[in-house]
Amino acid sequence: MTGNHLSSSLKCILLASLIFFCNVAVAGEAVKTVRPITHPGVGVDHLSCNLLRSIFGMRLRIWQDGSPIRVFVLPDNAPIHNVFSKQQLNIFPYQLRATWDRLTFTGTGQAPITVQSEDEMYALVASTPGAIGYLSEARIDEHVKVIHVD
Amino acid sequence: MSISRICQVVRRHLFQYSMILTGIWFLPASSLADQLAQNENLNPLRINGFLSQGYVKTDKNNFFGKSDGKGSLDFRELGLTASLRPIGKLQLSGQLLWRRAGKGSRHGISIDFGFLDYSIITKPAGEFGIRLGRTKNPLGFYNDTRDVPFTRPSIILPQSIYFDRTRNLALASDGAQLYGESRTDWGNLTAQFGTVFPQVHDRDTEVSILGANRPGDLKTRLSYIGRVAYELPNGRFRFAVSGARVNAGYDPGINDRLDSGLLKFTPLILSAQYNAERWSITSEYALRIFQLQDFGVPAFEKKFTGESIYLQGTYRFTPKWEAMLRYDLLFTDRTDRSGKKYAADAKGPAHSRFAKDLTIGLRWNVTPSIMLATEYHRVNGTAWLSSLDNPDITHAKQHWNLFSFQASYRF
Repeated sequence: MTGNHLSSSLKCILLASLIFFCNVAVAGEAVKTVRPITHPGVGVDHLSCNLLRSIFGMRLRIWQDGSPIRVFVLPDNAPIHNVFSKQQLNIFPYQLRATWDRLTFTGTGQAPITVQSEDEMYALVASTPGAIGYLSEARIDEHVKVIHVD
Repeated sequence: MSISRICQVVRRHLFQYSMILTGIWFLPASSLADQLAQNENLNPLRINGFLSQGYVKTDKNNFFGKSDGKGSLDFRELGLTASLRPIGKLQLSGQLLWRRAGKGSRHGISIDFGFLDYSIITKPAGEFGIRLGRTKNPLGFYNDTRDVPFTRPSIILPQSIYFDRTRNLALASDGAQLYGESRTDWGNLTAQFGTVFPQVHDRDTEVSILGANRPGDLKTRLSYIGRVAYELPNGRFRFAVSGARVNAGYDPGINDRLDSGLLKFTPLILSAQYNAERWSITSEYALRIFQLQDFGVPAFEKKFTGESIYLQGTYRFTPKWEAMLRYDLLFTDRTDRSGKKYAADAKGPAHSRFAKDLTIGLRWNVTPSIMLATEYHRVNGTAWLSSLDNPDITHAKQHWNLFSFQASYRF
């Protein structure tokens, strides 16, 4: 009897996998260029890919002048976040999430601040000292500073 | 005073005590945060949390409660994490945990970690610092975050390495930890080393180590723990070596047939992981040298080495859906992998000395904060079963199956 329960549970898992396979939406992302941006007061123009990754990985926490770095990101499932992670950081969004979770839930660091839209990203990075984030190229203007990745 | 009256008083004091502890973490922090933060995003205080409800059903044997028959809902995790970073070099962190997982984990609210972290050196090329207080034990890839459902590859971690029955011993310890990180173009090297006092005061740990709930108590002693990890800058490959020397003493009770003996436990874990966009492969291997001495009873003079290994593959169909396949092996004594010698010495059934667990799982990240997971285990052996949930291991069945479902929420 119990054995039947278990095998029906197994069948449910397999069935769920099948239903899922049929529903995988091929979410085509419009190819965009996404650039890292900072608050205009941040005294940095260039960053290596490695340093940029350390910053978004929340391991490098202060700018060279000693002021705190404040990192802003879009939600894990935002297409712009995906493009930025892969294009500029050469890392997958799930790896960033795992890194942030390890820091948060061991108390050895903090996760970045999540914003809900590019508008919010623009407004907060432009107004928060020490802020770093990213925007698609078309939305960047003189109120934020573009960081060139070497 | 009647017993029930005493119980009431004790309970009230315990409640007040836990409220005070909670207050220590959150009250001063929030008022300081208010002063420091003009705008929400400058707030140095972060509060995160998670809660989960699991269901475990086995056809034979019990895991996380009375799981055979109708199954067990006795698997719940609640955590509240606070961290305060008033300046770039200093962080105060704490986590309160409430967890139920069968008879082995019934301690009410506990302080999972609580420490001060100061970076003595912090540069783009790396950092060096110290942590003081209760820190999570850096063992393998998963021990530090083992109670956070979102960080686990499966509902139940590979039990060969992340035993649930001695989890408190492995969980966190009190003391000082030095850490360092070096970031270069060829990779990141991180190291942690702690001189600590592990937690040994719970029943499940005592039963696992001493075979029964003894009149006396295990007492923590100075222990050492460390981990060195290397990963490529893009995190594709990750490697780690971690190890500990856990020392504990036994404080005999009244009419105790055991003397004040010593426990020396030396686990060594090798970990490796490869991460691609769609899939990850993870494997960990552990040797566990376990020694009991000076208990004054021949049965408690022993030294043996256990061995564990698992190989795990994760496939991400989309960011929302992942499947997991794992094979996990545990041998309590590597010189007697089949347990035949153990059985021949009439110490217990052979199957209580090994476990081979084939697991298949599916995970659905419904939203970034809601996760549903399900998995199925086909197990040969009973070595990692808790004797609190399975009081008579001679009646345990060698071949058994486990099904589990878990819903988790985070903020």
